[in-house]
Amino acid sequence: MHSRLLAQLAAHIGTDQASLELRWMKQALSSGLSNATLSTMVKRRALGEPLQYILGTQPFGPLNLLTRPPVLIPRPETEHWVIKLAESMFPTAQNPRNLLDLGTGSGCIPLLLCHLWPKGSLRTHGIDISPHALRLANDNAALCGIPTHCDTDEPQNTYTTSLASFLHTSFPDNEASIKPPYDIVTSNPPYIPWDEYLELPRSVSDYEDPKALFGGPSGLDFYHAIARIVSHKNILSPNAVVALEVGYEQAEIVESLMRRTGRIHRTEIWGDPWGKQRTVVAHAHA
Amino acid sequence: MSSPEDITRLKQLKESEALQAAWDEWIETRQLLEETSPLLDDPDPTMRSLASDEYSSLTNTLTTTVESTFPSLLVPASTTSHLSALMELKSGVGGSESSLFLAELVRMYQRLANVNRWKAEVVGQNDNEGGGTKDAILEIKGLGAYDALRWESGVHRVQRVPATESSGRVHTSTVAIVVLPLVEETDAHNEELFKMDDIKLEVMRARGAGGQHVNKTESAVRLTHIPTGITVSMQDERSQHQNRRRAFQVLRSRLMDQKITREIAERRAARTNLVRAADRSEKIRTYNFAQERVTDHRIGLTLMNLTSVLEGDGLQDFLDALRRDHYESVMEDMLESA
Ligand SMILES: C[S@@+](CC[C@H](N)C(=O)[O-])C[C@H]1O[C@@H](n2cnc3c(N)ncnc32)[C@H](O)[C@@H]1O
Repeated sequence: MHSRLLAQLAAHIGTDQASLELRWMKQALSSGLSNATLSTMVKRRALGEPLQYILGTQPFGPLNLLTRPPVLIPRPETEHWVIKLAESMFPTAQNPRNLLDLGTGSGCIPLLLCHLWPKGSLRTHGIDISPHALRLANDNAALCGIPTHCDTDEPQNTYTTSLASFLHTSFPDNEASIKPPYDIVTSNPPYIPWDEYLELPRSVSDYEDPKALFGGPSGLDFYHAIARIVSHKNILSPNAVVALEVGYEQAEIVESLMRRTGRIHRTEIWGDPWGKQRTVVAHAHA
Repeated sequence: MSSPEDITRLKQLKESEALQAAWDEWIETRQLLEETSPLLDDPDPTMRSLASDEYSSLTNTLTTTVESTFPSLLVPASTTSHLSALMELKSGVGGSESSLFLAELVRMYQRLANVNRWKAEVVGQNDNEGGGTKDAILEIKGLGAYDALRWESGVHRVQRVPATESSGRVHTSTVAIVVLPLVEETDAHNEELFKMDDIKLEVMRARGAGGQHVNKTESAVRLTHIPTGITVSMQDERSQHQNRRRAFQVLRSRLMDQKITREIAERRAARTNLVRAADRSEKIRTYNFAQERVTDHRIGLTLMNLTSVLEGDGLQDFLDALRRDHYESVMEDMLESA
């Protein structure tokens, strides 16, 4: 028994959570995925470091993705809406889709869709401003067996990445890697407003990249940028789907930003498992 | 033992080559027995002793035919023989001592699984702060696992002096076990087990603003099957998605268990006779450490080697005996209703 370590951890996160996390630490150690010791893991956790960075992985749907500071840890809310999106569309190898992921981070969104959808039905591209994120995204793609291009006779889903800022007004015109039109645009952009950023738990603000979290004074800067991109002629194909994760009070504002682009004929708001409005799904005109 | 008239009726029940062979052997053995019987009173002592040896060997053959050969040929093939098992263990009376014993039982079933080349995995577990395990869900995958383990359902009782007890007094503690048939997501007959509309799925803890604001692991889920009121909670996996899959697996297994129980009851109701129903609150077995013995109360079998039971080998003897007992009671049931 590790009752001393359990007590040390429980003082910070409560007994129930501590006993679960201690078990996950032991599992990570016994699977050989980490060469730390249990007591250093507990020490780091007690100092407030996120469990996912300590263990080095986070499950995301059926995938087990690598996590590395300061790249944003994939959230269960994101996992939930991406699975729902996967179940709401039916791409086939005969009718493959093009997907653009803005602020791709660990690569979790396109990689999960590549994994869930039929082989050869999806080509994805992710951009990010952070080289750390792109390195992790590419490592995750390799881990999940998703290639950058189809290199065999077998049909495959693909994932490519490039370093770019979608806040730039020149985006996407000056981006050679962006090849419109896109059938699907996904994004979980930074959405935390200034005042809330100051109130974040330390395990978030001390460890995760501020550039992955801070969405400008109102938290909406990136949605304005996405609205501009969506308005851009030829970026969306007919009937394209734009799926955006939003902060807990932003769904309706983002929905109206999307409607005002003039490219959208129908919108939906999806709730997350905790009862928050979490995802705005916008359908482009035919 | 059954009378020849019963066997005649059984003969009509099912015609098959294997049965014919067993039947022929039965007739032949009986004939030999009849021929041997007068020799038991032979004036020649050598002859008498030969006859008596032969007589007892023939009787043994007859007994085996009746107790195992006929049943295994006649008892309808199990419809659950392909199923894996899901074992739910809950500590009962006896506090932390019961939790410690529960952890030992989990290890016992893991060893048994090893011996049988089944794959055992603890898929859910709540530890006790004072050591041991409050409750656990053990998945045992492999052909025949459910049929072999289903007789483990019931209350298991341990009698021993707890390590923490200074006065040396023997305590009695219990662990309740329910063995369910494991139904995989991919199994064809899921559809009829439940409708998605009848499921209420809840997350168990609040997450505040959620999303990017929070990076704490909150993966626990609870689902409720509204028509039956069955609820399943799962929190052992780090991903909500995986906890959800596990929870649905447990739900399917519980619903499948109810279905099997219902079908058995209906089949019985159609007959005049009632076979002993499995009662899950019944004390089925006692593990007595002071006397190094394990007793199964249903079949009255005691093994004087507790260690071997906990190591898995002795447990196999119990499982075999219980299976034989099951065959016999199904046979009796058939004989009486044929
Ligand atoms: C909230 S994270 C989302 C990461 C990942 N898609 C996910 O859902 O877990 C936002 C990502 O956007 C990236 N990002 C921030 N500003 C950006 C910009 N101007 N252009 C491109 N990417 C940016 C960050 O580096 C970060 O990886």
